[in-house]
Amino acid sequence: MKRKGLLFYARLYCKILAQDLKSKMSYRADFIISTIGMIFTNIAGFISFWILFRNFSTINGWGYYEMLFLYGFSLVSLTPAQCFFDNNWSLRQYVYTGDFIKYCFRPINLFFYYQSEVFDIKGLGQLAFGLAMIIFSWIKLGLGFTPLMLIKLVIFLITASLVMIALQTAAAATCFWIHNSFFVLDLAFRFKDYAKYPITIFSKVFRFVFTFIMPIAFIAYYPSLVILRPDEVELLSWLSPLFGIAFFYIAYRIWMYGAMKYSGTGS
Amino acid sequence: MNPKKYLTLTRMGIMESLQFRMSTVIIFVGNLLYLIVVYFLWKAIYASSGQEVVNGMTFSDTLIYLVLATALFNFMEMYTVWQIGRAIQSGSIVLYLLKPMEIRRYIFMEYSGNFIVNFFATLFPTFIVVNIVTHGAVPLGLNLLYFVVSVVIAVMINYNIDFFVGTICLYTESIWGINIMKQVIVLLLSGATIPLAFFPESIRNIVNWLPFQSIYNTPLTLLLGKTADIKDVAVILGTQLFWFLATYAVSKLFWKISLPQITVNGG
Repeated sequence: MKRKGLLFYARLYCKILAQDLKSKMSYRADFIISTIGMIFTNIAGFISFWILFRNFSTINGWGYYEMLFLYGFSLVSLTPAQCFFDNNWSLRQYVYTGDFIKYCFRPINLFFYYQSEVFDIKGLGQLAFGLAMIIFSWIKLGLGFTPLMLIKLVIFLITASLVMIALQTAAAATCFWIHNSFFVLDLAFRFKDYAKYPITIFSKVFRFVFTFIMPIAFIAYYPSLVILRPDEVELLSWLSPLFGIAFFYIAYRIWMYGAMKYSGTGS
Repeated sequence: MNPKKYLTLTRMGIMESLQFRMSTVIIFVGNLLYLIVVYFLWKAIYASSGQEVVNGMTFSDTLIYLVLATALFNFMEMYTVWQIGRAIQSGSIVLYLLKPMEIRRYIFMEYSGNFIVNFFATLFPTFIVVNIVTHGAVPLGLNLLYFVVSVVIAVMINYNIDFFVGTICLYTESIWGINIMKQVIVLLLSGATIPLAFFPESIRNIVNWLPFQSIYNTPLTLLLGKTADIKDVAVILGTQLFWFLATYAVSKLFWKISLPQITVNGG
């Protein structure tokens, strides 16, 4: 089989995306309500954050606007997982009913084809929230602005987003081996809420756990240090793009390994 | 009223939930991680505030409150909205309607076995662990009795709200959006994410007039033994009972009005 180029996949993605949007539009009420639900979630998250900081002005040496920056950063870096990899949530059903076999017969990358089928527009609301928080806290903190900072921000945001994608993909892949894997995926999904806290609040043991075993510290804390506190950047911050790529690659291999072993249900 | 038919359903529920031991383990791990995050977060918060007591709550009060709120959430979450929503979408709602028992009662009894399993598997052990970790910060006296009574009413209020929200699915094609909105509103306004004591005065005044605080805040305040006076306890439980009756009436009426709306396309 000839290897297909990046351009081929990009064109293919646009075509599949258009189909998905068309089918979404036929359930307009569901689409609107889901979007409102997503906005609700973000507003409620922000209200909890705001209430917390009304009572306490700093947490572990982190001020309100610094925490807001971390929060915004985590929302933006979680968006790609929400938008492009939402089909992971259905994997369990496809595998269980045997419908997954249809994906195995296409002459394109299995992982790509499966994930490309769903694009979750409501994740864009989260992106808007996150960007607004980053910009607002950036101005309030008086961080200054150079093109280099912008490039850094974009690179670190993109690589940070790979971490959540990796967690979600690996969690979804467990359905190839165990039943009722919804709870594993739900567990991974709940991690995203913890990403917005600075890892310095944890004890040494859990700092290690949240850095290397369940790498949620790479979703917001390590990468945003580069912008937020340029004087005290840790080595792990500079390495975070590499970690993002590595985690993604491992998750991808796990997913593909499960998919290749899949033998269908015989129907 | 024949109690035997209800007990049969309860027994079925127990057997069913014991089938899925794996999911219980994963939920347990998930909660443990959440509790670790909560523990360190609030420890850092209290450490940076430099105060022992904030808004009438000490660190161990807050910790017990939040830990048990999580345990209660897992104890009470019945996924009724999903169940009703799916039954409406697939048309299997007809099977519920054909049963010689009211659908509201049937779904509740069907789930009641899980309450028993969940109580011994999560709520009770969590309570013991919390009490050991905080060196017996929970007073062991009449407040335990109030707590149990209050939780029973809370479970039923929660169910009424769930049933009401599930009924909305008759009109919309959306389950996810409706459910997430409900969950966000209930968790925030009931004080499950942040204790109501930390809310600003003005918001707390509004929240006190809503049914949601009866679900988490009421049982937990009673448990923490902040209200020793029997008259206060009576007023608190009375308010809760009022909300039970109110939500019961509203959700029953709404279901009755909505039932003719059901259309099932073939079988």
